[in-house]
Amino acid sequence: MKNQSMWSLRLSTAALVLIPVAVGVNYIGKLIAAFLKLPLWLDSIGTVLAAMLGGPIVGALAGAINNIIYGFTDPISFVYAITSVAIGLAVGILFYKGYISSWGKAIVAGLIIGLVATVVSTPLNIGFWGGQTGNVWGDALFAFILANTDSTWLASLLDELVVDVPDKLLVVLISFGIFKGLPRNVVQLYNNNEKIETLD
Amino acid sequence: MKSISLYVERDSFIHEVDPITKMIYILFALLIPIILPSFTISFLCLGISLLLLVMAKVIRKTVPVFSFVFLVLITVVIIQGLFKPENETVLFQMGPLAMYKEGLLYALTITLRVMNIVSSFMILVLTTKPSDLVEALVRKGMSPRIGYVIVSVFQIIPEMMSSMGTITDAQRARGMETEGNVIVRIKAFVPLLGPVILGSLINTKERAMALEVRGFNSRAPKTYLYEEKTYTHGRLVQSVMLLLVVGAIVWRIFA
Repeated sequence: MKNQSMWSLRLSTAALVLIPVAVGVNYIGKLIAAFLKLPLWLDSIGTVLAAMLGGPIVGALAGAINNIIYGFTDPISFVYAITSVAIGLAVGILFYKGYISSWGKAIVAGLIIGLVATVVSTPLNIGFWGGQTGNVWGDALFAFILANTDSTWLASLLDELVVDVPDKLLVVLISFGIFKGLPRNVVQLYNNNEKIETLD
Repeated sequence: MKSISLYVERDSFIHEVDPITKMIYILFALLIPIILPSFTISFLCLGISLLLLVMAKVIRKTVPVFSFVFLVLITVVIIQGLFKPENETVLFQMGPLAMYKEGLLYALTITLRVMNIVSSFMILVLTTKPSDLVEALVRKGMSPRIGYVIVSVFQIIPEMMSSMGTITDAQRARGMETEGNVIVRIKAFVPLLGPVILGSLINTKERAMALEVRGFNSRAPKTYLYEEKTYTHGRLVQSVMLLLVVGAIVWRIFA
């Protein structure tokens, strides 16, 4: 049987089970970042890992369900489901095409994902918050830019950029590192390749 | 094991309402202020949501969520009041800084919108058990496998949190520093996160096998453990909300 396309909607049980774990990992990442008082969110490690292991559809689903569940405790996160889906899709596509195969390429990929996240989140920020992000440094920058130029879009874009790109870069690097450290039999679980090998 | 769900067990009328109706209410509370953008309508919707929260006797549980949102909203009000691009009319001066009317009005719109979303969501979240919500959705036709995924998140997260606690203690006992300057804290991140993630992923293999053995992938129609709860007035309330939305659209077009 041939290799399943990365857009296949047929999700194996292993892929479905991966999704709640990805949400849990996202949550733990967020908790640890808060516990260690780091100035970043670090709440998409699970989504990126799910995308690396299971492809873009699994990554996107993990991202969507992650924000939907967060929406239960913090309703604002609900609308950023779109951003999470975008991140899952982007990482899945890049990874599947082999663009994240070394640390150097992972850095580039991290920057790309940061840009994707920024571009998708900025309209959401403007629509819901008038352009702010809720992050202290980003909003300080936002105020500064808004005071000196007349463009809300520019201020919001830079606000989100300054917070999201370092955050996603770090997330992709951490996920890549973890992915490389995973035992092969776990990675193999999610491999959609249905080649059957016989021993005789 | 602490659950991450905000569900509060109370004996009120709202708790007895069909989860689907509550979800439609959220849509309703969001659409009406968008269709009819006036402060009165927004205040009205917010008022109705708050009233429902009081009726459900869960209003005190909304305070932590509201306070968190308020913190961000205050910065929005300040920044928009001071710096919004089309600011013209000055309302009052504080030394070198001036608060403008347009900015404050815009900030008010945002505040009302955010509070509307939060309160209507809270009605759903505080009065519905996640398993009831998922069951209602699955009965309506959502794939039971996605239903499982959602329910299992509520179970997995407390599990992972307690395992993280164990791992943190174990690492600290072996000499990992978690307090100090930023570099020290960053160095602590990987030894904390790594084992948790690896352990959970390896666990998924067993989880997947357990599900397969119990017929997770079977296409045969599923049966339900609990009897279907009949909700009074479900249809009626949903039709009323639909009519109101249509009415709002009509009003907007013709007035």
